[in-house]
Parts: sequence; structure tokens; C-alpha cells
Amino acid sequence: MFPASTTQDEYPHVNSNLESLKWGQVGMMPNLGRSTKYDVLVVGAGHAGCEAARACARLGLRTALITMNLDLIAQMSCNPAIGGIAKGHLVREIDALGGVMGEVADAVGIQFRLLNTSRGPAVWSPRAQCDKKRYRVYMRELLEKEPNLRIIQAEVADLWIEGEGNQRRVVGVHLRDGRSVCSSTVVVTTGTFLNGLAHVGESTYTCGRNGEPASELLGQQVRRLGLRWTRLKTGTPPRLDGRTIDWSRFEPQCGDQRPTPFSFLTSEITREQIKCYIAYTTEETHRILRENIHRSPLYSGQIEGLGPRYCPSIEDKVVKFPDKLRHQIFLEPEGLDTYEVYVNGMSTSMPIDVQVKMLASVPGLEDAEMIRPGYAIEYDAIDPRQLTHGLMVKTVRGLFFAGQINGTSGYEEAGCQGLMAGINAAQFVGGADPVVLERCEGYAGILIDDLVTKGADEPYRMFTSRAEFRLQLRIDNADERLTPLAIRLGLCCAKRKELFERKMAQKQQLRRWLDSTRVDCNELGLALDDRPTYALWLRRPEATIWRLEQRLRAVLGEPPVEGLLASLEVEYKYAGYLSQQERQVARLRSSESRRIPTNVEFSAIPGISREIAEKLSRVRPETLGQASRIPGVTPAAIAILDVYLSLSEIREPTVS
Amino acid sequence: MTSLNLGDTIVAISTPPGRGGIGVVRLSGSQSRPIAARLLALGADFCWKPRQVFLACLTDEAGEQIDRVLVTFFESPRSYTTEDMVEISCHGSPVVLQYAVERACQAGARLAAPGEFTMRAFLRGRIDLPSAEAIRDLIGATTLYQARIASQQAEGAISRRIAPLKRQLVDLIALLEAGIDFADNDVDIPSDAEILSRLDPLREGVRRLHASFAFGRLVHQGFSLAIVGRPNVGKSSLFNRLLEQDRAIVTDIPGTTRDTVSELAALCGIPIKFIDTAGIRQGQDPVEKLGIERSYQAMADADLTLVVLDLSSPLTVDDENLLQHAARCGRHLVVGNKCDLPRANEYAEQLIAVSARTGENLEALRQAIAEVMGVGGEFAQESGFITSLRHAQLLAEVVSHLDRARQAVQEGIPHEMLLLDFYSALRPLDAITGATTADDILNHIFSTFCIGK
Repeated sequence: MFPASTTQDEYPHVNSNLESLKWGQVGMMPNLGRSTKYDVLVVGAGHAGCEAARACARLGLRTALITMNLDLIAQMSCNPAIGGIAKGHLVREIDALGGVMGEVADAVGIQFRLLNTSRGPAVWSPRAQCDKKRYRVYMRELLEKEPNLRIIQAEVADLWIEGEGNQRRVVGVHLRDGRSVCSSTVVVTTGTFLNGLAHVGESTYTCGRNGEPASELLGQQVRRLGLRWTRLKTGTPPRLDGRTIDWSRFEPQCGDQRPTPFSFLTSEITREQIKCYIAYTTEETHRILRENIHRSPLYSGQIEGLGPRYCPSIEDKVVKFPDKLRHQIFLEPEGLDTYEVYVNGMSTSMPIDVQVKMLASVPGLEDAEMIRPGYAIEYDAIDPRQLTHGLMVKTVRGLFFAGQINGTSGYEEAGCQGLMAGINAAQFVGGADPVVLERCEGYAGILIDDLVTKGADEPYRMFTSRAEFRLQLRIDNADERLTPLAIRLGLCCAKRKELFERKMAQKQQLRRWLDSTRVDCNELGLALDDRPTYALWLRRPEATIWRLEQRLRAVLGEPPVEGLLASLEVEYKYAGYLSQQERQVARLRSSESRRIPTNVEFSAIPGISREIAEKLSRVRPETLGQASRIPGVTPAAIAILDVYLSLSEIREPTVS
Repeated sequence: MTSLNLGDTIVAISTPPGRGGIGVVRLSGSQSRPIAARLLALGADFCWKPRQVFLACLTDEAGEQIDRVLVTFFESPRSYTTEDMVEISCHGSPVVLQYAVERACQAGARLAAPGEFTMRAFLRGRIDLPSAEAIRDLIGATTLYQARIASQQAEGAISRRIAPLKRQLVDLIALLEAGIDFADNDVDIPSDAEILSRLDPLREGVRRLHASFAFGRLVHQGFSLAIVGRPNVGKSSLFNRLLEQDRAIVTDIPGTTRDTVSELAALCGIPIKFIDTAGIRQGQDPVEKLGIERSYQAMADADLTLVVLDLSSPLTVDDENLLQHAARCGRHLVVGNKCDLPRANEYAEQLIAVSARTGENLEALRQAIAEVMGVGGEFAQESGFITSLRHAQLLAEVVSHLDRARQAVQEGIPHEMLLLDFYSALRPLDAITGATTADDILNHIFSTFCIGK
């Protein structure tokens, strides 16, 4: 996809003709010597790293994915589930852009549910409980099929950086075993591994993820790079042995009869589906937690990092909502061939003895045996405001950060950043402009814009309420929004392209027909003097496109592509609301089109307070629209900035 | 997002505030001509000749004449701002000028920020100032304006009135958002009944605040009250009673007041211009005729008319004509004077019986005036009322979006769309008291609901 000329100039001894590369068999370790060179290195093989590495490889770049443990690629370290409200949207978008997460989840999902179906289609969101082991095995298989991708098990000791100050650039990484790997582009996706510190009650130990060793050397170096970083905290609940649970005491929660897949490429989910179960804490549970609250590292002051408020530990819930008599918990099997059960809703860092008592206080869990205790983990995250919208560190050329290290939480948020960082690493290698999604194009755009503009005081999770243009950002049209970009970039496989183009052609054909054909009154039971077009009829509250299914099929001469009718129904039924939102999009675009030159000295603008100038300098917004989203920047300051920019444009019309 | 929408057509009163002989309302922007055409009831095919003054009528929505005005059109780029501009010179009453601006806003113009005409002229290179000075001046204009708004936001009565309403709206938004974003948690989906039970008081609160604008305007500008009646019913006595001084000449010769006499007084702290008029009866001498004509004019101009009847004598044709005329003119009260004498008047509708001679029931009349003008009622009790046209417009927007939301609830529109109406209602409130961000809503949710699995 990308001309390899840049690489060739920098590393003339590397033959960039992929055809002629003799890299041995797929999946085998290449022969690593001091001079080994790649176009892109990805450090960390979690959900962000996998997307980044695969995207780069797919875009034709020689890519290496470096992981501390080959067997734990794409490990689901917390809840073995993909999707959920707003997160399901992210997975759809990853898929529409040619990423892998949706495909993998579809292949290994063991309980699919479409959430929010009592609301309108803009907030429907798919979620799937996944088989944890199969997820990582499937992902590894997918990655190993990529001819341009090498997977290396090693610990990165430090990033190899040349130059000074803002002129720095990355040239590779040094491995702990003494080897070095060269590349002008490095994507760091180390999750919670940097200076990770786990807490279980009073005891603490350093760890990366669930007992894996932390990455301390790299952690120390990232702090030394002069990047601003912060301590965040997250947690996970205990896991139980399913054989020791009295399942008859709980209310079962079944998956959907007709599972909704994540990927536009998946036509059907065929795997065996399981049940989850809903349980409730009791007053006894709350009493145990309250009595032991002083032993919680969250309350004893032992934990410094800030945890997510949307995912509080059970002790937090009990303390903050004392009036709530019971809290819901979900018992979720971790796979088809394991007894391990995830206790969703019981994230905790209480000492083990308290965890045991707390679990036993839940009716049905009296005899449950704990396989692994819950824990809290504190880790280093960088301040993402130091990144561009392309996720590259502003002060170090070629160095990208993606995933949980940027202050987010969730596999989907990580995967999405990984994919965008991969795409932009490839753009960088090819000397092309970064690919930046707008807030009105997808949750992916909102995620990154929020991160680089507002930073993350607590682990950042996506919510639909973060989207100003929620009605446009639906799961049914993620492909319409993003697949054209994937096609342009070369990330879209032939099957997806064919499917997408067929869907769009069908859509156009059906729109023409619905707009121009008057309804058949007998068929719809309407008065004969009332003959609106189908388009107008669809706006009526009682109308639904499913009544026209047979007709539309006949119009097309083939069955409509999955999801097309749903899209059309929304677009006709809520045309008024959608066009209202489109007008707002136009307004946003106009302020986004007002670029702020990179050399603007905010503190020198008369009328802008020092405090606001500092906020602006910290983020260095790229557009006036972005500036207006920085917390604490007032509309007055934006007006002043606007005048100032107008003036400088008049005086120096060449300012870019 | 940016507050400097240079593409908008802006409008402002460009003469100093207060009463002057002439006041100028200025429009600038691409829509100046169509907007002015609506204000002046000019046809779509009206031929605008640049730089030529012409006479036109400022009209109300129904096309009724408000004022005779002189209009000048400046064609882009040969104008102060380099945009199309229309200047309308009205008679200098602040009420007329404000009305012209309000109508222009209804027709699509935006109220200009202070200094905005100059800023446009400058940004378009029309005026050339030393650069540093220019920046400072322009920014000064902007920040002063914002500073004033900010101080109003920080401590003004208006923000105290708006804050609870805004909180109610944010509560409602958070409730709906929580139902969407945390549907898989233990959070209930709010029912239509619950949404309406929160929406209705909120809408009522905003509506009342908006309605206080009329009062706010009264406080600033006062109102005029014309006293009319046929000769010798005691108009001037009543006028004097209300003013508590002998201002007009009172005799019992019919037709003593031959011209309108006006005097300023205060009622509940509101400045009122009382206008005593010549008695109205069919054709007498030319001087009296002129006076009568002026009486009619005063009725047409006044914010409130008191039609005075003589309770001690039967209703005449003149009385009947006058009552009909008053009904056509707008707000009026019927006052029956001489209630201390035996009643001989058969007028059956509601009236306020007073005696200007004894002062009987005068207090009831004052109260009736206060009530009908919205003074001394609900607004006078409450500390905050709005005086700015900008605020009034923003609140009107809020009400209209809440009305749409109400309809959407009744139609069963999904919540994520309904929220569009609520956010649209929130934005104008934000414009007064500062922005509400997505994080504010989330903070609200996290502090209200126990979220998280």
C-alpha cells in the first residue's frame, strides 16, 4: 500500500520488495541480529497491540509485534466479554475499518445480547460473552496468518531514541536480552504493565496483568522521557469454581435467540450459546464490607491512583450508596471448557479473607470456592494530551501510544486506538498525512479527540452520551461511515468491499423506489384517498419497513444485505431528528475547519488569561473547535482566539 | 461553537440609548435586505437602490403600521462593514427601536455583540488601525461584553433564577442518559409520566421567567396610561387623584381639557406616564376637534387605556363608541366615576366603580392597573426578572424546545432523539450561565446512580 521509499532511504540495505523477502515460514521467529529492521514495531500484544500490528502488516509494512508472553496474546484480563453500550459501537467501527476484534469475538462468542433494544436504533449495542481461552488462541492464529507480521517474545527494556528536546525521533527498541531492533516507527501498547502494582488487602506486589511480571525497565524509561504521566487504578473481581456454585438459586439470563454479530462479515453465529446468571448481594454482604472497610487499600490510602467511577469496586458501591439494599451481580462463565466463573459487579481489592466472607454472604455462593481473588492494580498512564490526533507523541517523531497506557479502560477502547495508531504509523512510514476521524464520523473519532483534548483524569470509557451526534453514529451504518476510508487505505479485504458496495447499491435502489412510489392502500389498510409515497408513509408512527420486506426483495431481485432495512427504517422514520443533527454537524465542521497554526504563542494573545493560555499550551489544539472543547477554556477566550486568528490571517495570508 | 459567526446577519440599535429625536437600527450581512423587507412589509420584488433614502412603514406582524421610517440601503462592498447594510431611522422611542430589533431577530438576524460592526469592518480590511491598538480595542470590546455577561452569570439575579431551572433540566437529561448508557446496569428507564412530571414544572418556570421580560421592560421604560371618556365624566379629577396633585384644570364646564396633558408618576415603583385627554364627543369647535383627535391618538399609543364613564348619568352613544374603540385599541379598563352619587348608568359589564371626588376605591383602581400591567403581581415579589432582549430570546428558545420535547414524549419518540430536544433547550441556558459538557452530565449520573458492574 505505502511506498516503502522512506524506509529504503533510511535503511538502504533493507530490500523493501516484499515479494522477494525470504522470511522463512510464517509464524517462525526471524533471525534477530543487531541489524534487524522493521517498518513498524509494536510493543505489547494486548487488544491495542494486536490491532496495530495487524493493520500495519495488512498495509504492507514489515511489522514486528513484541510481547512478553506469546501464549497470552489478546488476553482478556478482566471481564471475558466484548462490546456493551457504546463499546459495541466501537467494535463495529473497528470492524468497518478493517480491524479484527469483531471477527474474533464473533468466532468465540458464547452469549450474544443486543442491548438497549427498548430504545431507538442509534443506541442499540451488541455485547458478547466470550470464551476467554479461545479468544486469545483465535487472535494468535489470525496474526500468525499475516505474511508481513513477525511475533517476537521478548521484554523491551527501553525505547531507542535519538536527538534532543522536540527534535527527538525513535529509531528502534532495546530488548532486555541485549538485542536491539531497529525501526523508525514504534507503537507502544503496554496496557497496565508500566510500573504495575497490584493490591489485595494490605499486601501489594508488582505485576503487569493477573500475575504476569510488570515492565519496570520500560516503565522507568517512559517516566524519564519527560512525558507527563499519571497513576490510574483499575480492578477485577474474584473468579469462582462453577462446580461449587448453587446455580438453582439464580435467575438465568439468556442470550438473544438470533445473535447480532459484531462484524459486517459474519453472516451467522453458530457456536453453542450459554446462560449467565443474575445474583444479588445481601445486607450481610454490605455489613461485612463496611466492617472491614479500613482494610481496603482504596480507603486506607494505600492506593494513590484514580479509579473509574463507572466501574466502582463493591466496597465503593456500599460506601457511596448506603441506601441501596442490594447490588446486582452477574455470574459469567469464562468459557465452554472451563469451570471458571467471573463475578461481574464484585470488583474488589479487599483482603482475601474478606473476599471469601463477602462471597459466602450471597445466597447460592455459600459454598463457592474462589479460584483467584479480586485485586486492584495501579499503573502508569501517560497524559494523552501529549499526543497528536494521530496518536503520535508530539515531541518524539515516530513514537505512537495506544490503548490503556493512554488512560483508557476497556478492550474496545484499546482496540480502537490500536487500529488508529497502526493506520497512522503506516501513514507516517509512507510520509502521508495522519488519518484523523472527526467526532461526527465515529466513536473512534470522539475517543481520540477526547483523549488528546481533555486528557484522562480517570480511566476513560466510552459512553453514547459523549457523542454530540449520536443519532448518526449507529451500529447499522458503521460501514457506511468508515468502510470507504478502509477501502481508500487498503485495509479492506475483497469480501468486505464487495459486501459493502452491494449494500450501498441496494440502498440507493431502495431509496429511489421508496421516494418515488406511492403506497398500495389495500396492502397497508389505508383510506384510498390517502396515498403518500412509501418514504412519507414510513414516517408515521405505526409504519414499519418490515411490512414491505417482500416488496423490497422483489424490487431488488435479491435479498437485501443484512442490516440494510434497519438502516433505511431509521433514516426515514427519524428524518427530522437526523437532519436537525446534520445541521449541527455542519456547524461543528466550520469550527473544525478553522486551523490554529502550530506556532501560535497563546500566552502572547492579549485578553486571554494566563490560566487559559496555559491550558491551551498544554493541549496545543489543532483547530478552533478542539480548543473550544478543552475544559476551562471559556467561550470568551475562544472568541478572542478567533479574532486573533482572523487578524493574523489578514496580516499574513500565507499562515497555514 | 465559535461566538463570532461572521456569516450571520446582525442587527443593533446604533444610536445612544434613551429617548432621542431619531434612533437608527442597523442591519449588516447578506440577509439584510430580506430581513428589512419583512420589517417594512416591502414586496419580494422591491427594488433596492443603494445609497438612496426612502420613506417606509415599520409594521408589526399583522402588517399594521408602527412608525414611519427613513431607510437607506448600502450595497456590499460599499458599506461600513463591506457587507450589505440597511439603516432604518425611526422616531426615537426606545420601545419602537427595541421592537424593530426584535422583529429583525424574528426574521433571522442575530443581535450584534458590542463592537461587532466595527470588528467586521476591521476584519474585512475596511478600516485600518495600527495593529496592536486594534487588537486591544477589539478584544477589549469582546471581553468587556463577556465580562459583563460573566459578572451577571456569577452573581446576578438572573443567574440565580436560571440556575435552579437549569439544574432541573440537567437532572432530567442525566436521568435519560443514565437510562441509555447504563441500561445493562440496575438503572430504571424513566417512564413517560415521570419525564412529563419533571418537564412540566420546568417549562412553567422558564415560561414565567420569560414572561418577566415584559415586566423587566416596564421597570426600565415604564408605560403610558391614557384616560379617556366623554366630556365631564371626571377624567381630569381622576387623573389628579391618581397623581395626587392638581395638575389638570378641573371645572364642570364640559370640554375644559382641550389638549392632552401628561404627567409622570410611579405605581409600585414603575414609572407611568398618565395622559389626560380631551373629552370625546361628536363634532364641536375646531380646537376641541383637534383635541379629540389627539385623544384618539393617545389611546392608540398608550400601553393601557382607562375608559371613564359617569355612573350618575345614563350611557350615551359617545360612551358606547368610545368603549368599542377602546376594545379595538387593546388593553383597557372601564372605570365608573362618581360612585358616590346615585347610580343612573345601565352599563352592565365589569367596571371599577370609584369616586374621584371622595377618593373612594382609588386603591382598587391602582391595584387593577398594576394587575393588568403585570406589575405588583408574581414578578414584583420575586427578585429576578429579565431585562435583556438577548435573555428573553434565549428563554423563548428554551420554551419552544421544551414544547417540542413534550410533544415527542407524547409521540413515544425514543429517548436518544428526545434528548436532542432537551439538549437544544439546554444550549440557550448555557449561553446565559456557561456551558454544560458531556462530562458534567456524566458526573451527575455517577453521583446519582450506582453505576458499574
